[in-house]
Amino acid sequence: MSLVRRTPLRLVAVALAAALALAACGSSSKGGGSNTASTGSTVASGNVPQGGKLTIGAEQEPDCMDWIGTCAGSSWGYWMAETTTIPFAFLASGSGGDLKNTPGPVLAGAPTVTQSPVETITYKINPDAHWSDNVPITCDDFAYTADQQQNGKDIYDRTGYVDLQPVTCTDPKTVVVKYKPGKTFASFELLFSGTVGILPSHILKGKDRNALMKDGYTWSGGPWVEKWNKTDSIVLTPNANYWGPKPKLDQVTFKILPDTAAEFQAYRSGQVQMIYPQPQLDVVAAIGQGLPNSNTLYNANTGAAEALWINNAKPPFDNLVVRQALGYAIDRDAIVNRLFGGLGVKTAVNSLNPPVVKDYSDPNAWANYKLDLAKVTSLMTGDGWAKGSDGVWAKGGQKASFTINSTTSNKRRELTETIVQQQLQAAGFDMKIANQKAGDLFGKTLPAGDYQVGLFANQLTSLIPGECNLFCSENIPTAANGNSGNNWYRVSIKALDPLLRSVDQNLDDATRRSDAAKADDVMATNQVTLPLDPLPDIVIWNKNVVGPVGDNAIMGPWWNLAEWGVKS
Amino acid sequence: MLTYIVRRIFYSVPVLVIASFLVFWGIRTTYDPTAKLRTSRDAARVIAQRRHELGLDKSIVSQWWTWFTSFLHGNLGVSDRTNGDVWKMITHALWPSLQLMFFGIGFALVLAIAVGVYSAVKQYSVGDYLFTGVSYIGIAMPTFLFGLLAIALVVTLPVTWFHLNQPILYSVGLHSTGQSGFNLDYLRHLALPVLTLTVQSVAVWSRFQRASMLDVLNADYVRTARAKGVPKRKVIFGHAFRNALIPLVTVVALDSAFLVGGLVITEQIFSIGGMGRLFLEALSGGDAPVLLAWFLVVAVFVIVFNLIADLMYSVLDPRIRVS
Repeated sequence: MSLVRRTPLRLVAVALAAALALAACGSSSKGGGSNTASTGSTVASGNVPQGGKLTIGAEQEPDCMDWIGTCAGSSWGYWMAETTTIPFAFLASGSGGDLKNTPGPVLAGAPTVTQSPVETITYKINPDAHWSDNVPITCDDFAYTADQQQNGKDIYDRTGYVDLQPVTCTDPKTVVVKYKPGKTFASFELLFSGTVGILPSHILKGKDRNALMKDGYTWSGGPWVEKWNKTDSIVLTPNANYWGPKPKLDQVTFKILPDTAAEFQAYRSGQVQMIYPQPQLDVVAAIGQGLPNSNTLYNANTGAAEALWINNAKPPFDNLVVRQALGYAIDRDAIVNRLFGGLGVKTAVNSLNPPVVKDYSDPNAWANYKLDLAKVTSLMTGDGWAKGSDGVWAKGGQKASFTINSTTSNKRRELTETIVQQQLQAAGFDMKIANQKAGDLFGKTLPAGDYQVGLFANQLTSLIPGECNLFCSENIPTAANGNSGNNWYRVSIKALDPLLRSVDQNLDDATRRSDAAKADDVMATNQVTLPLDPLPDIVIWNKNVVGPVGDNAIMGPWWNLAEWGVKS
Repeated sequence: MLTYIVRRIFYSVPVLVIASFLVFWGIRTTYDPTAKLRTSRDAARVIAQRRHELGLDKSIVSQWWTWFTSFLHGNLGVSDRTNGDVWKMITHALWPSLQLMFFGIGFALVLAIAVGVYSAVKQYSVGDYLFTGVSYIGIAMPTFLFGLLAIALVVTLPVTWFHLNQPILYSVGLHSTGQSGFNLDYLRHLALPVLTLTVQSVAVWSRFQRASMLDVLNADYVRTARAKGVPKRKVIFGHAFRNALIPLVTVVALDSAFLVGGLVITEQIFSIGGMGRLFLEALSGGDAPVLLAWFLVVAVFVIVFNLIADLMYSVLDPRIRVS
């Protein structure tokens, strides 16, 4: 059921149920501020044996395997089958919070990038790279993929491709990608990467891509070949014709286990050897009960951040003072500690940029917003508010009363709401809870601006920063933009727009980083939302599973599955 | 008999038609298939175009008729979530669910009748009290709780205690990867979901059979048979048993259709990709075409099982057929 709205370039609002980018890292706290502590990890290593089978529990099944189509919104599909079978120009490689965009094995090296007269990226394809049917991976494949992204039917996200000129091939192994005059795209690493990759022209060109891919496919450009037994499992076997190092395991089965309690029992009973559960309360409790013969890995350096998303255009939050007072009325660290203290995650995040892109943020932007009831009183009274007989702030007949919307059937969020409600009551705010089905919340309520505060997560699906999509004023859904904008929070700050645009478009990386941090500070000063927790990632695996087992906040834990093995 | 069957099937047609309309109306007023387009570029035009393509700009009756006639031609449309053919999704999901229901009903029926007859014949014995107590626990036990307890006690604990390489019974799916067909692996996967699905049915049906059997055993004609010296076994199985089955048939036929509800929980817990899980995924994903088809299939189930109940009546009691 999870329901990830993926937009590789940007942070995207997510219905959590589905898609926590569960990613984990090494044993120590890495990067970021105090909000990115991780604990208790042990990464198995040593001599990796050849052969053997591994079964992994998967909480969700992809809706389809047409990875660039609108039906492929599931992160689980990307983690399990796309990263293992599709070649990518760039990989968000690494573990935990130390991810780096590095050229994938399909390239002979890093592409060359020139900015004059137009932004041009030239890729050299690995001479050995070929598809599982031994047809070489060539420039035609890049051209086909770019054409589909620009002109194909039913494409999930065209970001980065809209302003491309047609791809030119100076030879079969050289790809030249140019942007139209006057157009630039700072995150060129996203091209043929992220959730798009490179598709085989010789198989798909001139045919119905969706029909050929949506139910799975027999070809591969990665180390594995997938077979999708719908509703039951996805089975990976080594791609016998892979040009790189071949997988050590004979078979990997992702067994679909949608129920968390049953997933843990399947793990405890040895029916699966690895699980990647969402950070729900019962998961934390189950881990607390002990998991013998297991490695567990928790990480707060994730690609996700949960926050209170404020509608800046709805009373009482159209008033900056009220938004700021809200920030001082909530003890965010207490909430995080209550939710994830058992995993060692005890402090709130202080940026809306998830920890994995900490270099493009000010990780301490919201650090000043700590519980301070005197400050709340000072702010509210200074703005003319006074507490009524019911203890709730009021001004000119308007009460500091609002409703929070989140997704139903999520115990963690329900607990968060309850704690926030109690804290706000003590501070003179009246908060009501009205949760909705994820489809209604993200499909109707939020885009229509028919809410005051929402509780949900942002999830990054590529190692590319940028929040203009979420907070630039031109992206407020209006009739003028066909209601297509994702600035559901109705943030409109003149000083913010150019900073966020710079992060998306400026070709100077140092400027992008600086502007991203400044943007965070502007948003914190204006208290446009209130970040809460990083949604820590959890990976649990049997000690028989060996190799560089870890996690990757963007590509999932199985991005380097070919190097894993199992001890007999 | 044939006339009777044809007449009953004929009566079922308007029920199905009305049910299909109510389901269609309910889902169309609840789910907006264009909701996910609201954040797309040029949303107003895209939504208007999509609404026209889907016929949403027509009256609800017109929409229903188009859908219903397509359904009669085996065309259930395309899933909003997967872009897949709904008919294929339903038939794919139906197979594991039918397996669970077939073995579940068979298992529950045999066990419930055996327990019910034993309890009636041995009324107020230790065994009767034992089965009565167990039945009440079974009736009170929520399906999800029973399922999770069964997994913990039967699957996980033996593995932990005895350091087994693999569990005696499985709790994931209906086959191990690479296995298929009717074999020991299948039975080891099937046992717990079938038990979970039917634990309440066994409990209820056994109580029903006990009460029904007691009524018959106390009937005049049974007393007369005993008085005439007919052997006890013949009295029970030759005279009483068949008549005692008639009330149970009603309950079994109706409950069997409602087992579909139990499938939702059982398939979720045991990771079986059947109708129950398809329903949950369609519900959470706002997949109206799948929900429509799902409800209609369930409506057909209910009608078919009612028909079976009527037919079983006539087999067990010829007076019904004659009248």
